[in-house]
Amino acid sequence: MRKISITKYLAYFFLVTSCVVWVFPVLFGFFTSFKAQGDIMTVGFSMLPANWVIQNYISVLTNTSSAPIVQWFLNSLVISGSHTFLVVLIVSLAAFGYTRIDFKGKETLFFTILALSMFPAVVNIIPSYKIVEALGWVNSPLAVIVPGLGGVGNVFLVRQFMLGIPKEFDESARMDGASDFTIYFKIILPLVKPVLIVTGLFSFIGSWNDFLWPTIVLNDVNKLTITAGLQLLQDLYGGYAMTGELMASAIIAMIPTVLLFLFAQKYFIESMNLNAGVKG
Amino acid sequence: MQSENLLVVETEKKKKRKSMKQFAFIGPHLVLFLIFILIPTIYGIYASFTQWNLIGEPEWVGLSNFKTLLFDKSSTFHFQLRNGLKNTLLFVGLTVPLQILIPLTVAVALENKKVKFKSLFQAIFYIPGLISVSAAAIIWLLIFNPRLGPVNNLLSSATVWMVNQPNAWAIIVFMSLWGAIGGNLIIYRSAISGVSADLYESADIDGAGPVRKFFSITLPSIRFPLFYTVVMSTAGAFNVYAQPLMITNGGPEQSTHVMMMYIRQLAFGTGESVAGMASAMSVLLGLVIVSISVFQFIVMYRNSKG
Repeated sequence: MRKISITKYLAYFFLVTSCVVWVFPVLFGFFTSFKAQGDIMTVGFSMLPANWVIQNYISVLTNTSSAPIVQWFLNSLVISGSHTFLVVLIVSLAAFGYTRIDFKGKETLFFTILALSMFPAVVNIIPSYKIVEALGWVNSPLAVIVPGLGGVGNVFLVRQFMLGIPKEFDESARMDGASDFTIYFKIILPLVKPVLIVTGLFSFIGSWNDFLWPTIVLNDVNKLTITAGLQLLQDLYGGYAMTGELMASAIIAMIPTVLLFLFAQKYFIESMNLNAGVKG
Repeated sequence: MQSENLLVVETEKKKKRKSMKQFAFIGPHLVLFLIFILIPTIYGIYASFTQWNLIGEPEWVGLSNFKTLLFDKSSTFHFQLRNGLKNTLLFVGLTVPLQILIPLTVAVALENKKVKFKSLFQAIFYIPGLISVSAAAIIWLLIFNPRLGPVNNLLSSATVWMVNQPNAWAIIVFMSLWGAIGGNLIIYRSAISGVSADLYESADIDGAGPVRKFFSITLPSIRFPLFYTVVMSTAGAFNVYAQPLMITNGGPEQSTHVMMMYIRQLAFGTGESVAGMASAMSVLLGLVIVSISVFQFIVMYRNSKG
């Protein structure tokens, strides 16, 4: 019995210490975004603001020229929102095609594209830029919405999930004369909703936080996503001469993804079961 | 005879229509895959054998780029490849083992039945992974800011952290781990909770301690998820870019300058693009990633059989 309580305290000690370290930067950034620069310079270290001010947020949100953060935020919402919608649509259609439509070489085709997509993505960045340029998409949201839609990983995941749905479900509907599209939309889609939600959540977060690609295909300040835009802020806000403004910007940039997690936590956890289940 | 022919035509038509049907479903994805994955990958490999400034037509130069990168000691490209690869490997070597060990330890600690607030702990470890590297770096740079940062204020020190090694690497690695363990943690937790309780009970009867149980029961039972996270974390770590860019911009003295930074600079930096050379660098990085993944597969496959 004593041994159990020792391991319990060890576990607690380890968990609490590491959690303090893990949560500290977020809380520190959050509280600092409500501090006045004068207090930041003089107080030394303090977690909580001596005086709470919202001036940093007002100043950041009203900047519409050098760092138009409201514009960036809206750009990101449009980009990540449409990317997510299209991923869910295209991936579910493809997975339906690979599981429910009979055609010659179906498996071969799927596993060929899956294998081809394994080649490290670093090789296709430069030509992808040329393709985006040829399409006239540089500085257009399309440049960040569309290229990621060709990925095969999500198709694999949703296909795996659809394979688990008994064929009887759609066969009886087919007997009743339902078209393929009706079966896709009315029968299969509702059944794979959990995996589509997971795919959508991860697509949104991936798109929101994507850094390298947007900085390559977007170079007009007004067209940037918020993640790419933040890179410019260090200089604009004079290093840490305007610390509060920097922290406020960082906090604004992380709101959507953190909120998504807090509201959809169970899907994130389910997703890992899915992943481990599929791969294990 | 004629009617028979007609029938053949008819059924062929039907077949043809049937064989086109799947494209309504897989077509959109297949087209996007071709345009944004397959063609660029093939073109990227082709471009590595050319001299190309991204504007004109690529000019075939055979193995020249690779010769320069690998053997021409007087060339800056050779230095960049060596330095970039060394730094990238260093990052992978420092990050990946901890990216496995830390969440595994946390998962085991959370498995303890007496521990409460499990989902709160889990959320705290997961949330940093939802924050973009650019937003995270702004905060981490303040934490290690020489004058304003809590670290120096608490230590009453005036150390300028980022200009010295190993501090610069330590901060980059730590910040990366901070954002990278949440996913693996959830995978391990769900894997461990799936291990049969009978195994632990019979181990209890045999008098096995917690350490023994971890190594003889838990680890072998979760080896597939473990293997999956090792491969994925490694491949991911090779693409490191944003953390060193935001934290040190490659410094001090290019000691944190990673491959992706050189590739991006050569292809899209200021001055004339050397996209051919950059492509050759990407191909080499790609080959390193593939070889290491294959190596990991072989090692794990052998172990899983034994």
